[in-house]
Amino acid sequence: MTAAVTTDADLAEAPATDDGGRRGVRRFGTIALAAAVVVGLLLGYAGGLLTPTLTRPGENSVEAGFARDMTTHHAQAVAMGLMAFQQGQDPEVRQIGGDIATGQQGEIGTMQTWLRLWKLDPTGDQPPMAWMSDGAGLVKDGLMPGMATPDEMKRLRAAQGREFDLLFLQLMIRHHLGGVHMIQGVLDEGHDKDVLLVAQTMKNTQQKDLTNLQAALKRLGG
Amino acid sequence: MSISTPGGPERRPTVVSTGKKPAAGRPAAGDKPAGDKAGAGKGTPRAGAGGKGRKPIAPVKVSQGRSWGPIALFVAVGVLAVGIVGVGAWAVYRGSQPWQERADAIKGVVDFRKKDKDLVAGGNHQAGTIKYDVLPPVAGPHNPAWQNCMGDVYDAPIANEHAVHSLEHGTVWITYRPDLPADQVAKLKAKVQGKEKLMLSPYEGLDKPISLQAWGFQLKVDNADDSRIDDFIKTLRVNASIEGPNANCDQGVTATGTTPRDNLGNQMPEQPTQ
Repeated sequence: MTAAVTTDADLAEAPATDDGGRRGVRRFGTIALAAAVVVGLLLGYAGGLLTPTLTRPGENSVEAGFARDMTTHHAQAVAMGLMAFQQGQDPEVRQIGGDIATGQQGEIGTMQTWLRLWKLDPTGDQPPMAWMSDGAGLVKDGLMPGMATPDEMKRLRAAQGREFDLLFLQLMIRHHLGGVHMIQGVLDEGHDKDVLLVAQTMKNTQQKDLTNLQAALKRLGG
Repeated sequence: MSISTPGGPERRPTVVSTGKKPAAGRPAAGDKPAGDKAGAGKGTPRAGAGGKGRKPIAPVKVSQGRSWGPIALFVAVGVLAVGIVGVGAWAVYRGSQPWQERADAIKGVVDFRKKDKDLVAGGNHQAGTIKYDVLPPVAGPHNPAWQNCMGDVYDAPIANEHAVHSLEHGTVWITYRPDLPADQVAKLKAKVQGKEKLMLSPYEGLDKPISLQAWGFQLKVDNADDSRIDDFIKTLRVNASIEGPNANCDQGVTATGTTPRDNLGNQMPEQPTQ
């Protein structure tokens, strides 16, 4: 259909008759090419802007559900830890209480920062534990696994001496067992790398706490 | 031929003809037969440049509008792509609207951050009884001790002076008229129980059955089934706090009664309960 020979000849001496038309085509081609480049760049830029948005955890994601529910779960552990720090009789109980309170409050800050970075509200309107596949059945009176009831918290608030120490250890052991279960939920079903990393750290901490809490309970004869 | 539809049969001849009129200065990409790539709109004019020893054919007049088809296709695809990206961007923007705007969009909500900036600027600690102009109060000075707001359900009125401190910590405080039917109260209780930064208490003298307070915001509704209750909680819980998500809700006053107590956290166990 075409040949190099023809081409060369044409390139060398473009027929004057066609010149206007060819220039027009060339001009048009240049504009179209420029437009293509601009549109391509814009699309790439927009894609780059949107990609983090579209790939970050959304409103009903496992990650967001975990961050919100674990904030609630942690908040109660902080409350119990602060009580132990103030009311505990046994030095180890006071020490563990302070450690749990500061540690878990810090983790609340991490989880709330995730939610802010994901442009999500700090709290959700899903029922508790809805993000975990077997979650809904674990909730009792709005309380997530291991959480103390309002009545138990009242008893703890009023307790003193060895009675406080034992009740605190028992409630915190149950609280941590529930917490580890929830953490396992996000480890199994979550995808966000940083969430998985922090969740694994939480699990390590709580499992180590459990060993110490159980040993302390044994030591105090509970 | 110009502005032709991008259909194959119509475009093919177009491309073939271009091969005969190579455009100078174009990169020599084409050693393919010109007719092969119908889609390469702008590439076609120089297709002949690298033609490999094919039989020369007498040049054919270039028709000026021959590139319109691919260009129209390209523009159409471009516009479509921009449209898709635009719609996506708009949806994302809408979703990330600031919570203040979403709060103001709740029908019937009163935004004291706009009405009374000084009131909501922050709350100094002040002992004893405090007079509030807006009731139930939504902001202002308050006692050093806050009311416990760990999803606490109070069955009797609580002191404004402690409750306002809880609002400052990001709590949504739901109050209801004491004559609210028990099944309605139960629905409110289910929304509150077990969730930090929420608390529920009856309140004397409300002009509507239910009133919701967050720091600087108030919404009054007639019915516990009103969907705006959930909107208010979702939008303002923690968000409305001027202290951020790390403010405490335990270690506060757990007793009911409208007379404020000045006891601070570490006296909690000794606190008189009514």
